[in-house]
Amino acid sequence: MQKTIKLTIDNKVVKATEGENLLQVAKNNNIAIPNLCYHKKFSPTGACRLCIVKIKDQNGLIASCGVTAKEGMIVTAFDEELEEARKYLLDYLLSEHDETYDATYTDEFRELIFRYGLDKKENRYFPSIVKELAYPKDETSPILSYDAAKCIKCFRCIKACDEVQGKNVLSFTNRGIHSYIIGGFDKWGESECDGCGECIQLCPTGAIVEKPHREEIQLNGDIKKVRTTCPYCGVGCQLELFVQNGKILRSNGVDDVSPNYGRLCVKGRFGYDYVQHHERLTTPLIKKNGKFVEASWDEALDLIAQKFTEIREKYGKKALAGYASAKTTNEDNYLFMKFIRLVFGNNNVDYCTRLCHASTVTAMLRALGDGAGSNSIEDYEHSDYILVTGNNMIDTHPVTATFVKYAVQRKGAKIVIIDPKWTPLVKDAYIWLQPKLGTDVALLNGMIREIISNDLIDRSFIEKRVDGGMEAFEALKELTEKYTPEYTEKITGVPARLFTEAARIYATAKRPLIATGMGFSQQVTGTHNVFALINMMLITGQIGRVGAGLNPPRGQNNVQGVSDVGASPFTYPGYISVEDANNRRKVAEIWGVPFEELDGEKGLSTVEIMQAAYDGQVKGMYIMGENPMITDPNLNHTEESIKKLEFLVVQDIFHTETTPFADVILPATAFAESEGTYVNSDRRVLRVRKAVDPPGQARQDWEIVAEIARRMGKPLGNYKHESDIWNEIAKTAPIFGGISYDRLDHQGIQWPCPTPDHPGTATLFTEKFNTPNGLGKLHPVDHVEQSEKADIEYPFILNTGRILYQYHSSTMSRRNKSLTDFANEAYLLMHPDDVDRCGFKEGQMVRITSKRGEIATVVRRSSEVLKGELFMPFHYPEAPVNKLTRDELDPYSKIAPFKISAVRVEAL
Amino acid sequence: MIQETLKTFKPEQQNLLQILHALQDQHPQNYLTEQALEETARYLKLTKSSVFGVARYYSMFSTTPRGRYIIRICASPVCELLKVNTVIAHLEQILAIKTGETSSDGLFTLELSECLGQCQEAPSMMINDKVYNNLDANRIKTIINEYKQKNHD
Ligand code: SF4
Ligand code: SF4
Ligand code: FES
Ligand code: FES
Repeated sequence: MQKTIKLTIDNKVVKATEGENLLQVAKNNNIAIPNLCYHKKFSPTGACRLCIVKIKDQNGLIASCGVTAKEGMIVTAFDEELEEARKYLLDYLLSEHDETYDATYTDEFRELIFRYGLDKKENRYFPSIVKELAYPKDETSPILSYDAAKCIKCFRCIKACDEVQGKNVLSFTNRGIHSYIIGGFDKWGESECDGCGECIQLCPTGAIVEKPHREEIQLNGDIKKVRTTCPYCGVGCQLELFVQNGKILRSNGVDDVSPNYGRLCVKGRFGYDYVQHHERLTTPLIKKNGKFVEASWDEALDLIAQKFTEIREKYGKKALAGYASAKTTNEDNYLFMKFIRLVFGNNNVDYCTRLCHASTVTAMLRALGDGAGSNSIEDYEHSDYILVTGNNMIDTHPVTATFVKYAVQRKGAKIVIIDPKWTPLVKDAYIWLQPKLGTDVALLNGMIREIISNDLIDRSFIEKRVDGGMEAFEALKELTEKYTPEYTEKITGVPARLFTEAARIYATAKRPLIATGMGFSQQVTGTHNVFALINMMLITGQIGRVGAGLNPPRGQNNVQGVSDVGASPFTYPGYISVEDANNRRKVAEIWGVPFEELDGEKGLSTVEIMQAAYDGQVKGMYIMGENPMITDPNLNHTEESIKKLEFLVVQDIFHTETTPFADVILPATAFAESEGTYVNSDRRVLRVRKAVDPPGQARQDWEIVAEIARRMGKPLGNYKHESDIWNEIAKTAPIFGGISYDRLDHQGIQWPCPTPDHPGTATLFTEKFNTPNGLGKLHPVDHVEQSEKADIEYPFILNTGRILYQYHSSTMSRRNKSLTDFANEAYLLMHPDDVDRCGFKEGQMVRITSKRGEIATVVRRSSEVLKGELFMPFHYPEAPVNKLTRDELDPYSKIAPFKISAVRVEAL
Repeated sequence: MIQETLKTFKPEQQNLLQILHALQDQHPQNYLTEQALEETARYLKLTKSSVFGVARYYSMFSTTPRGRYIIRICASPVCELLKVNTVIAHLEQILAIKTGETSSDGLFTLELSECLGQCQEAPSMMINDKVYNNLDANRIKTIINEYKQKNHD
């Protein structure tokens, strides 16, 4: 606990926490000392000197932002001399400043000018010389403009970029009065800037202003500000949307609240325009004679009810299935899964998680008892060792990455990266291990052996917290014995010197965190990979403390929540098995239905549903906000399966690659038109709030689901508001028991939160694991050769992944000019040596062929990949890389091996 | 070329100034090209702007092409007292350029600099690494001609 101290500012006794900065103490106590270069998000600069104060027994006027508050300090913040000095400083700054104001940004400098009466020319001492200075403007960035004539050289932007975002893109050029801020070689648009807009949000004067909607926004006019949660990735950043004339015109990060503390990435800041895109679906559409025609809600819903009923009567209840959606709210998904279980009468409900996290969740559930991240996102900042495996977080979870970079750049933490492909985080890495694709188990076993042979295990942890104690450990020891440094190096291609050191420092670190990712989980051996990792964690006791644990960040905004609320073929809300009769009995009671109506047999998972459609067992499908025609593996097969369905309903906000196959398309609301909650990667339940009206007749997903149920004669319940649904979720899933909308108003709560007075749980497994006996379980696993290997016909191994500017199937992200300005083109990364060997040229069109299909795209030389390996982003429908991937599944979790496909590449 | 020069230094950020010097010196036009800056940034794992900012901050670096010979004239108070302005005027006249420009034959660039530390024998100028003191109109002409001559041979 930090100590509270007392000091006096202008005769007022104020409290502060020891170590706090004096200016911040004044701010916290509503003492409005003027300041421009200070911001609590980064270290003080001391550039503007407006925050000067007098401190008893110290000489002169002292910049308070550079002073640490001390017990008993006596401070004068306002007197005539200080105010005169401030006015003089402002006056001087003003003389070099373009003071025009177009009300498109908040201007702290201008506010001070008015406060000190300097808006009136007669109060000024210095004449303006801004014209003579001829300051430049930089308009080269797609998302912001920089105007040096409005810059007061407070360096907040530089610190925002460097200290808050860890990117250090900005610098200044020239000297003295002529200096100004630069990105790149004085061209922002060609710099490393990735468009997060942190500098925009922190610029106090409008020197840096965002471009999108600048002509429309008028901060003088009526602006509605709505706090909600980002619709893209699983970080769950809190946004404040600026709405004017019914349109979203800006998005800022919300300061002071977790998980993002005001930070955003380019998608959260600039990715909202898809909501108001002209291609949104606005009415229900029914396919008649091969063409979609507009229909009324009544017509569409009646048709759906009739068809689903017919299929159930004709083929039995197992002939129906549904895909829930990681994009929509918990409330939407809860009702959807209730619909499948009650109205379809089976457990055939799943969603994209099966394609991303199933292996991680399966392994974690078996070994630890919970499938979710064990620590808070901000823990990375306090960690001293971060192991990042198969996770390109700078692109996929950019705000999480800011915490990681902070730990490394400012606090000396060490990052070890396991990734076959270069990722931007490698720049900050202490060690980068680059194993051959599909050799993770061997690498980890090699690391475990190194830990054991150096006696770096945590005996007392193993004895107290691991099932079977030292005996179980011995079995692991025996299995890993053969993974000597030499043997491991031979399989993985990673130099022994590197992985052995990585292992030793992991075992001895104080607070080591592990971040896994899709590179690790999307393999046929996905579950085994995670088992191996957990083995290493358990024998070293590196879990169950703040800053120590295992964190698989969730890809989509609500992947976590959809599983939590039970949209799974295997589990009910709160991860309770569908096969558990007691649980079904309990749920039946809450739902007010006869127990017998709940199917006690596991349902089909995502890829299995498609296979069942192919085999003619599933005949009717309800897809809510998913796009399997891009995201499922082995797309040609998916297409054939979908075509075999007798009846398909797709509910979405746009036409997608999947909608052409639908019989009925239903228009749903986007995030900014919906109410509800998401759960982010660190199990935090976060509010989603409505900011604008939906286009046309679009309706929120849960309302549509409830209507279909009603028309099929099985009403789901009487819900007036999303909070009614939430309250039912909280009743059904004990992990949410204590959470209500009221409690979420200011800030999210991390589950488990069983009772209304429970604060939520930041760190899992501190006392015990969530397994039936409370102990963690070791699962010794051996390396197995990949079944798909490069051969003469298919000599390359293709890896797939994501990029910062696009998202998932790009349905949303591609409809934002700011994002497509940064990246809008598919490509294939190939090692320069391979490019030369094949005789390709940079940018040449090539055909990529696997056993399952072929696609065309352009080739890019890149030493980011190993020789013989290739990489392609999966977002772009014109080069749907999943035509090449396999649907051979991990036997435990049913995840598909998106990361490893043997292919050949030919010139086109 | 750039890569070879870079490799003679350890990839440590403290070597930035020395690297920039070496790269500037090896360029026939005596300046830091964008490519040189970019490769330096990559080599030292710095962002472009931090390298560019340094290159622009120090007057000894240039990011635009310059002559083979950089003439630096001390513009500090002592030299100023000793009528350095007429020296500048002479040079501008002989070379037919203004301060900051490069002569049309690509040989000379005229720049002002901080004190050269030659105040006892002011006015002074430096041509690349060589210092010339006690300047007057004639001396300037001779020196410049010598350089021109040197380049002819
Ligand atoms: S937008 Fe972000 S990355 Fe770009 S300069 Fe500003 S803070 Fe840095
Ligand atoms: S990091 Fe994720 S949640 Fe945060 S703004 Fe970016 S996409 Fe949105
Ligand atoms: S706020 Fe303290 S010097 Fe600027
Ligand atoms: S550096 Fe902050 S306004 Fe320019």
